[in-house]
Amino acid sequence: MKRLSLAVLVIALVFVVSGLVFADNNDTFVDIDMGNIDSLDPHFQYDSASAEIVANVYENLIQFKPGSLTEFEPLLATEVPTVENGLIKNGGKTYIFPIREGVQFHNGNELTPEDVKYSFLRALIQDRSGGPVWMLYEALFGVGTSLKSISSEVVRVDDPKELTPEQSAEVYAYLEKAIEIDGNNVIFHLAEPYPPFLSILARNNGVSAILDREWCIEVGDWDGQPTSIAKYYDPTKEADPLYYKMNGTGPYMLTEWVNGERTVLTAFENYWREPAKIKTVIIRSVDEWSTRKLYLQRGDADSVHVDAQYLSQVEGMPGVKVIKDLPRMANTVGIMNFNIVTEGNPDVHSGKLDGKGVPSDFFSDIHVRRAFSYAMPYDIFIKEAVQGRGQKARGPITAQLLGFDENSPVYEFNLEKAEEEFKKAFNGELWEKGFEITILYNTGNSERKNAVDMLKFFVEQINPKFKVNVRGVQWSTYLDNLVAGKFTIGFMGWGADYADPHNFVVPYMRSDGAFGGVKGENYVNWAKENVDPLINEGAVTVDPVRREEIYKELQNIAIEQALDIYLYQPEAHYVFRDNVKGFVYEPTLHPGLYFYDLYKE
Amino acid sequence: MLSYIVRRLAILPIILLGVTLLIFSMIMRLSPYERVSTFVKDPSQLKGGVAQLDELIEKHGLNDPWYMQYGRWLKGVFRGDLGWSESAGMPVTQALKERFAATAEITLFALIPVIVGGTFLGIFAAVHHNDIWDHITRVLAIIGWSFPTFVFGLIVLMIFYGVLGWFPPGRLDNWALSIVNSPEFTNYTGLYVIDSILNLNFRVLGNAIRHLVAPVLSIAILWWAYLMRITRSSMLETLGKDYIRTARSKGLKERTVIYKHVVKNALIPVITVSGQMLIGLMGGLVVTEAIFDIRGIGQFLAQSAQQLDYAGVLGGAIYFGFVLIIVNLIVDVSYALIDPRIRLE
Amino acid sequence: MEWREIVYKLFKNKISLVGLAIIIIMALVAIFAPWIAPPRNPAEPYYIPRAGWMSEPQPPSRDHIFGTTEGQYDIFYGIVWGTRTAFMIGFVVVGASTLIGIILGTISAYYGGWIDEIIMRITDIFMSIPFTIAAIVMTTILGRGITNMMIALITFNWMSTARLMRSQVLSVKGEEFVQAARALGASDLRIIFKHVILNTIFPVVVQASMNMGSIVITASTLSFLGIGTPEGYADWGQMISFARNWIIGGQGNALKYWFTVVIPGTAITLFCLSWNLIGDAFRDILDPKMQ
Repeated sequence: MKRLSLAVLVIALVFVVSGLVFADNNDTFVDIDMGNIDSLDPHFQYDSASAEIVANVYENLIQFKPGSLTEFEPLLATEVPTVENGLIKNGGKTYIFPIREGVQFHNGNELTPEDVKYSFLRALIQDRSGGPVWMLYEALFGVGTSLKSISSEVVRVDDPKELTPEQSAEVYAYLEKAIEIDGNNVIFHLAEPYPPFLSILARNNGVSAILDREWCIEVGDWDGQPTSIAKYYDPTKEADPLYYKMNGTGPYMLTEWVNGERTVLTAFENYWREPAKIKTVIIRSVDEWSTRKLYLQRGDADSVHVDAQYLSQVEGMPGVKVIKDLPRMANTVGIMNFNIVTEGNPDVHSGKLDGKGVPSDFFSDIHVRRAFSYAMPYDIFIKEAVQGRGQKARGPITAQLLGFDENSPVYEFNLEKAEEEFKKAFNGELWEKGFEITILYNTGNSERKNAVDMLKFFVEQINPKFKVNVRGVQWSTYLDNLVAGKFTIGFMGWGADYADPHNFVVPYMRSDGAFGGVKGENYVNWAKENVDPLINEGAVTVDPVRREEIYKELQNIAIEQALDIYLYQPEAHYVFRDNVKGFVYEPTLHPGLYFYDLYKE
Repeated sequence: MLSYIVRRLAILPIILLGVTLLIFSMIMRLSPYERVSTFVKDPSQLKGGVAQLDELIEKHGLNDPWYMQYGRWLKGVFRGDLGWSESAGMPVTQALKERFAATAEITLFALIPVIVGGTFLGIFAAVHHNDIWDHITRVLAIIGWSFPTFVFGLIVLMIFYGVLGWFPPGRLDNWALSIVNSPEFTNYTGLYVIDSILNLNFRVLGNAIRHLVAPVLSIAILWWAYLMRITRSSMLETLGKDYIRTARSKGLKERTVIYKHVVKNALIPVITVSGQMLIGLMGGLVVTEAIFDIRGIGQFLAQSAQQLDYAGVLGGAIYFGFVLIIVNLIVDVSYALIDPRIRLE
Repeated sequence: MEWREIVYKLFKNKISLVGLAIIIIMALVAIFAPWIAPPRNPAEPYYIPRAGWMSEPQPPSRDHIFGTTEGQYDIFYGIVWGTRTAFMIGFVVVGASTLIGIILGTISAYYGGWIDEIIMRITDIFMSIPFTIAAIVMTTILGRGITNMMIALITFNWMSTARLMRSQVLSVKGEEFVQAARALGASDLRIIFKHVILNTIFPVVVQASMNMGSIVITASTLSFLGIGTPEGYADWGQMISFARNWIIGGQGNALKYWFTVVIPGTAITLFCLSWNLIGDAFRDILDPKMQ
């Protein structure tokens, strides 16, 4: 008995000791997120969780001015090129960046112009499939280019993995022409003027992050030789040395990384600006919302990820502050398929215009598209489904960007107008016969489910012969349907790669866009004729006035033709403990944080 | 007994081959576009459009015939490489290794309280057969058994962490994690409780135990209920046996009868259930791990299955196969130890 | 023991009577669901009508006497129609997997030899696949839906019955009455049905009745993983998983959303409880050793 009570005493003591509150450490910042990090390689990663780490460890030549998406300030370059200061020349085809001196990488190496050149060429050579490097290709070599296309153009080899050393050198020479070193300057030569170029180079876009040449070669990345493209092109994650190692010039160094669990960043004391105030940043991944919430409530987390629909649970929580209503460069849109593949597709039911299904070209009829656009209750969606955390979309281009106009025409929720349009569709035949359609959504996302449920609810009210079914499927099935052209309406989201309207009109509207390209033959043909030329003109127009006109026109065409159901633009929000100060919102980093700005009181 | 063990182990490769083939052929029924969703995880990653998907399919050989893909994987396995888990973002072997520590720690701590508590409750109910205590325990047990785990888990978390602040989720506090990850601390096993004892760091030990209480409690509620019922019925069965009646009629004290004769004989089903429990715990607890922020085997398996990450799924199946066979062996051997009449053949 | 006698004893046992009463009430609710909670759209009565699209659950009110879950699904409607779902999942899954188990277990034990070996190895293989993995992969392949969920549950639920049945049959195989029947030249099929199965099935019945309850819990775990019934389907398990993000309350009131957990939780518990009570009673009656 004695021994037992002694044991109990010891255990109790251990608890007391470990329970001592370790004074809230103002040097440490704990951020609780969800999900995995795709890769730490800045040129490989293409998701927001990875971008957050990359933006704090690596640096770019320039960055956005706080609060602006069009003005820049220097970072690793000492000056931002403009036409006025003579660093943009040749009609917008030459950009000159003087490189900052005395900047150290985390391993102590000094930043040189060679590092800058190496970094861009390394990105161009790596050009992994599905990766972000297309942004650099489009800017430097023109729309639609890639290592593949250049290799097949220059040496007639379709797969860069099969380049011989000689062919590799030829391709390399072609690439190298775009980036030149002149003393302490790095000069970019663009094939065509490309106004979004600077926003691609700005911080938060990993594709233009600057690496340390010497270190990269040391850890087994591209050896800097013109002859070795085949070896370093499109690696798998496991073969990419920079997947789990980082060495940048940024304010934080990576000290620990267990993917999906935790990432620890430590302030870099030899940073070229003031060292960061927060000395240790711990980013943890917790998928369960209730658990994240309790961490925040107990003060064990300084910032947590909160989905819009649960924001009300933390508002008013003692010791917590919510920063909200921040504009985001993202939107959610219902993509309408102009040529639904009807073969073996249960979602079109009969596949004919007989009241028991929909024909393949259902959405090719502009009146059908308009009717659906009128039947979407935008305001209810924003108020209820996303708790007011968003604003109505006015076309593919989001607020803050060129071409966005507060007063442009949009579709209001109006069932009478929807009825009128349905009556006009297919020369009135549709109204007579009715239809039955199934709309898919990918499960796990209540936002898309809500949008589809609302369409069902209101469209079915218009005419008793209209029948809309809703079916939730796994993302893999959804993807398959999308590729096969079997989807009817698909609610999709797009988040900007860089701050320019070009990045929105291409995916949604261009005939080969990520979404435009899956909308079927009728759309592709229409787009090739009606919008592609305008989109391509916008990309190379230097004159901002003309550019704005182009994007306004595109925005209007999208609405006038009711190309898609432009649902809403989500707004950003951040949730902190209230002793966290210094937060500056960066739309290009959302939902990530730039820890350099932060401090705790 | 040895030849029995050897024979059981010899079946393992056949079963593993069967299991992996079965799972693989299930996954292969999906189209390459469905399987490429492993690499394009949600609509926001559809940046490059359809053309990008074709490239990814090509790159990862998702279009090859199934036997080639399975063969590639099998070849790796023979070299000790279970492949790359896209869902975990690390090699499968590393993922299993990292996750195993968390799972093993929970198992270690849940097993004993559950077995002891559950058996005790079962004996208690059986001794009080058909009186009010029996009914109360049984109804409580059924309620415990019939509430989904995540409800209990979340309630335990809210009370002990949210309100009282005693038992936080996760495996360690941040300060303790930084100690554990510092060079001065040697990670022998990855089980923080054991490592901290070996490193003589009792602050970390206390912290690790604090973090274990809540998940163990929420697991225990479920298994107590189950074990209690099994023990109870097994006890009742034994109580009705002739030799017990004889013992009673000989005038032995009730206590002696129960503890000397009945419990020992009623233990066999308890071992069976403990074995099942061990398999269940080692196989990972998807829900408990999710709620208590523990990166264990369960989450890894569920995530890789959800993302159709076949290397992860197959690696998990191999791991599970090993757990199953080893635990079953332990169970069989302990039968033989407890009851000499049982012979392993 | 005669069936009539079993039923008689079942009704005499007070505890099982409670269980039976609850089950009967639930069965009545299931049968009269269209009158108790008339569907908004008679073509798809199993989909719970939504009273809006807000995520925050709303407390019980006059329109929604049990309140609404996340996404404004009416809890009352879900509970009523969910009774049907629970019975359906229970009967179909337990029925089918028990049937498969009985058939395979009997064949395996009765014929023995290599047939036994093959069937048992297949059983081993199915038991060696973690259930979560199997269920997730299967629903991904088949698509989400109640039928597919039931298929997945059946596919990975028959093994323990098969093993139980096998050991039962092994124990009677050598008995005199089986030998006698064989000597009289009865066909295998006749022996199996008449002599073997009828004499061995009771433990399986007990197991099945207990499974009736727990299968509903398993289904709710699948909903938690996002692979259960389609979203909005009247299913208790799913309703309780809707509570997942609200259980711990909000705005300083931990019990603010109690109704999202307690109401569907009670339904599941009662269902599970009564099947278990019946199962327990069954066992007590059938097992003379316990008298």
